[in-house]
Amino acid sequence: MSTSAPPEITVLYFAAASTATGLTVERVPLPSGEPLPLTSLADLLVSRHPKTNLDKVLLSSQWSVDADMVDEPEKVVLKGGEEVAVICPVSGG
Amino acid sequence: MSASNDWPAASVGARLETEDGICVLTYQKLDAQAIIASVADDRAGATAVFIGTTRDSFKGKVVTRLDYQAYSKVAVKTIADIIRKARRQTFRSEHHADGYVSSIIKCAVHHRLGTVPVSEPSIVIAVSSPHRKESFMACEYILEEVKRKAQIWKREFYEGEREEDAEWKENITTSMAS
Repeated sequence: MSTSAPPEITVLYFAAASTATGLTVERVPLPSGEPLPLTSLADLLVSRHPKTNLDKVLLSSQWSVDADMVDEPEKVVLKGGEEVAVICPVSGG
Repeated sequence: MSASNDWPAASVGARLETEDGICVLTYQKLDAQAIIASVADDRAGATAVFIGTTRDSFKGKVVTRLDYQAYSKVAVKTIADIIRKARRQTFRSEHHADGYVSSIIKCAVHHRLGTVPVSEPSIVIAVSSPHRKESFMACEYILEEVKRKAQIWKREFYEGEREEDAEWKENITTSMAS
């Protein structure tokens, strides 16, 4: 375990979010290595993908963190190491 | 970027079996007969089955195929939870006036991932119960909840249109049309 590596999260994109970013997975370092409120993640991701419609996609999406759907994003702080997914409106069936 | 055959790494085949039933996500063609057979039980007087297939048209456009992807490890948990709720609901008919016993015997939900050509099944749900009412109701409940909640997405491709323009569907906003 390296102590010098800045903490980062893994972001998964599906459906419209992956079409917007051109990615299905992205490693995202936490700014300044500090814990990041989940409510700040949308702005961070949009800043990494300017000139896309990711901002619009995120407005209608939910988050999952470590494979659990997040009901109250304001209560979640990312410390690094988490797998965060953008859950766009679903369309199974 | 054209990613039509470049599925997300988190969209994989998955299988979750609980005491309430079985949930399968697979890139293989669905075998409806085998899925129906998997809920067979000597106590069952009824088996309700839903088979959802890829339709060849949407609002006058010719659909050439559907691509499905899932956040598999989350989607199977969601579907297992839906099956659990379906079994816990008191879908009891008049035949069972005594205490709580789920009248659903077995449930199986199989959803296909990847490219599903027109006319092939994308989802098969099979539910067995002693009497017809419970399995009909549970089957419909499971389908509607899977469409509403399971972390699965479909993209519809139309004849004569660029692949990049293919539309990611949304069940909530397009439920009247889907």
